[in-house]
Amino acid sequence: MTIPLLSLIVFTPAVGAAALMFIRNDDAVRWMALGVTILDFALCIAMLGGFDTSTHEMQFTETRPWVPALGITYTLGIDGISAPFVFLTALLGWICVLASWVAIDRKVKEFMVSLLAMQALMLGVFCALDLFLFYVFWEAMLIPMYLIIGVWGGDGRVYAAFKFFLYTLAGSLMFLIGVIVLYFHGGETFDIRTLMAQDLPFQVQSWLFFAFLIAFAVKVPMVPVHTWLPDAHVQAPTAGSIILAAVLLKMGAYGFLRFSLPMLPEATVHYSTLMLVLSAVAIVYGGLLALAQDDLKKLVAYSSISHMGLVTLGIFTLNLRGLEGGILQMFNHGVTTGALFLSVGLIYERTHTRSIADYGGLMKAAPVYTAFLALFALSSMALPGTNSFVGELLVLSGAFAANLAVGAAAVLGALLGAAYLLGMYRKVALGPVGIGVRFKIRDVNAREIAAILPLAVFVLWIGLYPKPFLEIIDASVKHLLAQVHGKGSAQ
Amino acid sequence: MTAAALFQSTLASLPEIVVVAGACILLILGQLMRKGQQQFLIWASIAVVVIAALGTLMLAGEVRPAYSGMFVADRFAVFFKVVFYLVTVLTFLLSRKYAEIEGIGSSEYYVLLLLALSGMMIMASATDLLSIYVGLELMVLCTYVLTGFLRQQQRSNEAALKYVILGGVSTGIFLYGVSLIYGLTGTTQLDGMAAAVTGDPLDPGLLLAVVFIVAGLVFKVGAVPFHMWVPDVYEGAPTTITAFMSVGPKAAGFAVILRVFLNPLVAASDVWIIVAVIAAVTMALGSFVALVQDNFKRLLAYSSIAHAGFAMFGVAAGGADGVASVMLYLLIYAFMNLGIFGIVIMMRNGDFSGEVIETYAGFAKSHRGLALLMLLYLFSLAGIPPTAGFFAKFYVLVALVERGFVMLAVIAVLLSAVAAYFYIRIVMVIYMREPEGAFDPALTPAVGATLAITAAGTIGIGLFPAWFLRLAQHAAIGG
Repeated sequence: MTIPLLSLIVFTPAVGAAALMFIRNDDAVRWMALGVTILDFALCIAMLGGFDTSTHEMQFTETRPWVPALGITYTLGIDGISAPFVFLTALLGWICVLASWVAIDRKVKEFMVSLLAMQALMLGVFCALDLFLFYVFWEAMLIPMYLIIGVWGGDGRVYAAFKFFLYTLAGSLMFLIGVIVLYFHGGETFDIRTLMAQDLPFQVQSWLFFAFLIAFAVKVPMVPVHTWLPDAHVQAPTAGSIILAAVLLKMGAYGFLRFSLPMLPEATVHYSTLMLVLSAVAIVYGGLLALAQDDLKKLVAYSSISHMGLVTLGIFTLNLRGLEGGILQMFNHGVTTGALFLSVGLIYERTHTRSIADYGGLMKAAPVYTAFLALFALSSMALPGTNSFVGELLVLSGAFAANLAVGAAAVLGALLGAAYLLGMYRKVALGPVGIGVRFKIRDVNAREIAAILPLAVFVLWIGLYPKPFLEIIDASVKHLLAQVHGKGSAQ
Repeated sequence: MTAAALFQSTLASLPEIVVVAGACILLILGQLMRKGQQQFLIWASIAVVVIAALGTLMLAGEVRPAYSGMFVADRFAVFFKVVFYLVTVLTFLLSRKYAEIEGIGSSEYYVLLLLALSGMMIMASATDLLSIYVGLELMVLCTYVLTGFLRQQQRSNEAALKYVILGGVSTGIFLYGVSLIYGLTGTTQLDGMAAAVTGDPLDPGLLLAVVFIVAGLVFKVGAVPFHMWVPDVYEGAPTTITAFMSVGPKAAGFAVILRVFLNPLVAASDVWIIVAVIAAVTMALGSFVALVQDNFKRLLAYSSIAHAGFAMFGVAAGGADGVASVMLYLLIYAFMNLGIFGIVIMMRNGDFSGEVIETYAGFAKSHRGLALLMLLYLFSLAGIPPTAGFFAKFYVLVALVERGFVMLAVIAVLLSAVAAYFYIRIVMVIYMREPEGAFDPALTPAVGATLAITAAGTIGIGLFPAWFLRLAQHAAIGG
């Protein structure tokens, strides 16, 4: 009997969350949550060790009947597109626990339970190969995330939590209708692989494309349905922001990759220009908004909109470089923006202010911390040698191949990125000592370094040697392109 | 009627007979007992229901027509009766402490609930407009009285009076429709009606009759435009009775609606358009008005209107899946709604009325487990997976899309997004506010058992819906 590795990965955090409920001591809760997430990460490493990069087929698949009367199965599996995100989610799992170690000082147990539940559901989303199962994971995430923002967030947390919940719910429900329509058009099955092989009429594809677009655009988020994001990011606790930025936003883009492109290829090609324009708008508009922010978290939040615009841009170029760049950029954005939110969280724990004007001269007070901040800011603006450079270069070359004007807009976005990130770094780290750092600020301690160092390693690793990462996604992306352009004729 | 036919009929209706006989015996016993011995009455009532349930399940093997085609014991009826038994037993369990606190624990309370149960059972089995009427009246007469059981309270009396008057009018409308049907077809039997019509199924007289019958039935499930009584009655009635009414009689109303709609005569007359409009308007009104409610019971009243609307969409979809989806919806709704009502009933203790939502602020801080249960019921009512409420809605949507009603499905989900707001607002109050005082819920073992059963149903059907789905599908085909 083979070990159901993916089920183990998905349900280890869930079992851990259930077990946590019976522990009374806050410290024990923290250590146990850390143990569970590290165990999960180890399982994930084991999974990657056995991952075959030469095939686009789903690997580690497992299937069990769930609701036979409606053709619903419990099917898990991963390919080169989902594997990086399973890994990213597992990596950020324990980083989030470390980031919440002292930041969360009340209702610790409830927080860790929510965090672990969230992690199980996110992993489930990336592993699910049954649309119904996917939807259950996708939608169930609303419950723990609503609590994480609403209970442990900042002053405006209730408003932000509601906004997040209702935006995402409204988007998801359209997706649900799309799923059911797809079910009846695709031969009464929810199996993703079977549905990918269907050849739907263009009319149906168009409707479904827009039904899916609503759901995924809210999650990405694309302009104009992005307004929940700054509120949610600013109000969420550090771990919540990291999860939101690093994993949740990826799910929208993942949705496009997993469903819209392979299942609705004709509609995708037909509406790709629209998507490119929307992405370009998000890049420039998000960048301009980030330029105008005086709140650290808001700045990073708006930069996320801009960077995710780059991701969707890469995806809808529908060429190899654009797609590979887009997917790599998804991973990079998870690492870099996750790290930026973590950095902001660390400094906020000390000063309790996020206003950029309150800072200045941080380099003198906390040199190690500032070095990390510099690295992540440079990574976010895609300096050569960092991870985002590789991804952004691929996306840009893909974009210019697809559409000159859109490519130009993307370059403008990159310039804006340099402007707001360097501006932020200058105001926070350099110059005279600001109000927020008037008092002595402790530099990062061992726990904080443990949380932030792995992300720094990935920033440099992908920046200097991206080959292993591109190898993982390569076969699957080629197959995906064949699905889009050649309607199923693989390679 | 020959002796053999009489025996067969008696056998088919044995569960109903058990419940009515049990109610009569308990009525007499209740008068002989001294005050303060309600404990016995509750357990005896539960025993009656359990015996009836055993009888129902033992007779479930085959379809048994009885009383010259007025009554049938088929799988469709069995499914609904099981829902009724469940609802009634849970109501008994919830009533024990609540009745003591409110001082309404006389024997009549339990007897009337049993009689209402028998009325619902007859409704589920009735295959003739007149036997439907008998069951319907038996049920509503009992609920009229139970609504006014808080004799000292003005709003309880007001609620009962409103209920009686409006209910009476709706029954009149229903009977008028029945008389028209009889005039046009010469029969009141559901099967006979269709056969008797040879002309155009869209004959105006027939259509009028169908509309009247639909109107009478729609009143019982509290759908727009016959919903006016629901908020006042739900708010005024003892909370246990509100809990009962929001699931039991509502399910019975849907049983009759489905039975009538399975009838080819009605199915041919394009009445689904009316039902679809009713469903959309009902859901819209329930969802939007619930947004501004401060009173928990009133909010749940509007929520139950919204849920009736959603179930109505399943009726509009029709077909085997449509019928099964409504049945599954009602079963799941019974679990989650009794769960949340169980919490409200439990909170009624001492000076705490448990009716104002704001007074639940910070409940999660002192009562983690109970707050988690509330969270479960509320997210299930909102239809978020992996709870059962999601699967209930999902299956209705599947039935709608299967019949090509994609626009109706879109309307249904958009309105359920609106409805989600007021459920998660309660979650916000209990989790994201600071408590203003201590809570003292009347958590007796009976209430705890109710909460455990409802929670198990809400999460269990959500995670493993296959078995329940098959049950509903088999029962729907049997109808």
